[in-house]
Amino acid sequence: MSVDLEKTLRPIDADLPPYPAKRVTLASGDEMVIRQVGRDDVSTLLAHVEPLIHVERDYYDIVAARVYAELLAYHVHRVQDEYVLVAQIDGELAAVVNGRQVRPGLGMSLHTLALRRGLRIGAHAFAAKMEYHIDILGHDEVLVVAESPIGFRRWMIEYQLEERFDTPHELGGVPSYALTRELFERARSKLVVGRRPVPAELLAKAQEAILPPTDPPTPPADLLAATRARYDTTGTALMLQRRIQEQGVQDA
Amino acid sequence: MERRIYAYRCRSCGTAHYPFRMRCKGCGNLEFFEFDAEPLPTSGTLLTFTHVHNLPAEYEVERLGLGVVELEGGMRVTGQIDIDRPELGMPVNGSVEVVRHEPYEDYWGLVFRAVRRRT
Amino acid sequence: MRSVYVAGIGVTTFGRLEYPLAEIAAYPAMMAMKDAGLTEVEQVYVANMGGGRINHQTGLASAVVDTLSLTPAAAEVIENGPASGASALKQGVLAVGSGMYDVVLVTGAERMREVNNLDATDFIATLTHPLSEYVYGVTLPAHAAMFTRLYMAKYGVTERHLAMVAVKNQNQAMANEFAHLQQRITIEGILDSPEAMTNNPYVAEPLRFFDCCPVSDGGACLILVSEDAMAGVDRPWVRLAGVGQATDTHAVAERADPTELTAVRLAAERSFAMAGCGPADVDVAELHDAFTILEIAESEEAGFFGKGEGHLALEQGETCLGGSLPINVSGGLKGRGHPVGATGIAQAHEIVTQLRHEAGARQVDDAAIGFTCNFGGFGNNVVCLTFIKER
Repeated sequence: MSVDLEKTLRPIDADLPPYPAKRVTLASGDEMVIRQVGRDDVSTLLAHVEPLIHVERDYYDIVAARVYAELLAYHVHRVQDEYVLVAQIDGELAAVVNGRQVRPGLGMSLHTLALRRGLRIGAHAFAAKMEYHIDILGHDEVLVVAESPIGFRRWMIEYQLEERFDTPHELGGVPSYALTRELFERARSKLVVGRRPVPAELLAKAQEAILPPTDPPTPPADLLAATRARYDTTGTALMLQRRIQEQGVQDA
Repeated sequence: MERRIYAYRCRSCGTAHYPFRMRCKGCGNLEFFEFDAEPLPTSGTLLTFTHVHNLPAEYEVERLGLGVVELEGGMRVTGQIDIDRPELGMPVNGSVEVVRHEPYEDYWGLVFRAVRRRT
Repeated sequence: MRSVYVAGIGVTTFGRLEYPLAEIAAYPAMMAMKDAGLTEVEQVYVANMGGGRINHQTGLASAVVDTLSLTPAAAEVIENGPASGASALKQGVLAVGSGMYDVVLVTGAERMREVNNLDATDFIATLTHPLSEYVYGVTLPAHAAMFTRLYMAKYGVTERHLAMVAVKNQNQAMANEFAHLQQRITIEGILDSPEAMTNNPYVAEPLRFFDCCPVSDGGACLILVSEDAMAGVDRPWVRLAGVGQATDTHAVAERADPTELTAVRLAAERSFAMAGCGPADVDVAELHDAFTILEIAESEEAGFFGKGEGHLALEQGETCLGGSLPINVSGGLKGRGHPVGATGIAQAHEIVTQLRHEAGARQVDDAAIGFTCNFGGFGNNVVCLTFIKER
């Protein structure tokens, strides 16, 4: 019977304590809410993440593709003890981070995907993850890998993560590093930022809906459009840029 | 062999230079290499400092301490500082150590530490 | 020496441009040629610092003159670190002013984002003294940071003043469609809120993330012409009236006074002397705020405010649009971006736009005299330019 099969195929999740939502003030003065989401929110997230699979720069494509897979796996119960946190500004999705518990005491950070640039949103989201693993889930260490050189610099070097090269990370063969409880304590003032509880109105707005990002990373269109538009009184340059973005017209 | 960092003193007018320059800034001597190398003193006063977080790839540390030190005798040098809580004007002592690793090559320079006060 | 006029200007969007370096230099040149209605160019100067090292392209000027179909015009690359742009304009002034040429095209370009951030930092660090600075891991932010600490101790400049410059310039850039950064920031977000340390972490203490300009690609161009050639151009007459340059010791530790930017003072004095005016006559200025402290220090050394009083003028809003001396209304290096070779020319582009009264939302009222300061290395080679509107 398929119900019995499902029992076999589905891992049994441990009873993990939830992540208490918090708010952070960004450099722009905007308030960002970081909260945990459940399987019901995954389909909305998939829609917002999918376009980034086609942004072929800064490792957006691979990170988005893997996040998509991990969210899907979480949704259909094909991965054990995964959690998903989202960061929202005015309801809009600003970042998605995820990870999972490998076993009691050991966590594994999966991904950090920022959908708005220039405000260190990725840094806030990563820190929230580490707080979740060590402070709330009670892990003694968290395994971390980086796909991009910037990630490597920001996490491995800045926090002086310990090498765990013998431990393969699920993301596929790349050398793992670990944030230990000791390293976390040393960096606590940098890692545990934000304020709780989130003001009711702010939280309500975030919980109401996960809105699509208004300015997500996109493949470069016509980068000189602003310049062309200045001297091109017919507006052809801007129209061209919009056409390329909307219809994917190549090299017009 | 103890390594030292050298200043260059002009043979014509006695002006000392660090770092090396081809033509003396004191007398403008146009003769080549009319300088005597003399080891720089290694103690002095910390004029200014910083801890750098955004480092070039060769430095895989969280942050790097750098400072400008006015050595005894008045020459000023830039060096690394190994001081947790630096203060402007504090007395420091330097020693010559490896300050940069590159593939196949080590670079030596001055690393300054706080002078321990005997009280 | 003959008078030199600006006939045409052009600039690219600053940010991340995935075009070959020669095209980033050629694009604003074409804009400038359209602007001036001139295509007969005798000499091309290309300001660029990293072409050979990070973009694998040496002899850049030869590539640019060809891609613009301007051969057989004379062409050279001018490299003066971050002051390449103004140095190239200086060469243009000499070329036209001497009578050797009538139409000279000066374009600047940089494509820093072809390499990753670590390599870009190292590239800029090659400006430092190889044996007494570079080997220690000294970077330009490190120099600026050590300078800042002394300025704070001597004059009472605080992190708040630095943050005020950052907020002023980055927000002012929102009115500049070519600027790299199009993101509003607040003092609360970068300094006062509990999250400020994550939003605005230290780069080199006490300088923080928002105190430093971004790494950018971009290009800018000015076409300089003689008076006779200008007569045939249907654009407002802006004269590049003053050029001043000065150098200082390579090793920053060897500077006579570690809180002074002597080369800025001398270059500014020489520029004003040649133009026949003084700091009090300047209506709008573009200073080199690669680090926020530099805007404050340069505003003093150039003579706009007394030594140690630049941060007080900032507090009183004198340097904002609407103040007594608007500085960096384009966003400066902080907001507009800093493609190293292009910056000096981009500063000039902004001043000429202001003097032509075509700056739209960021127009300084009645701008008639403008000033730029292009700061090379860490103040060891500075070029200042003075522009005067004639008609």
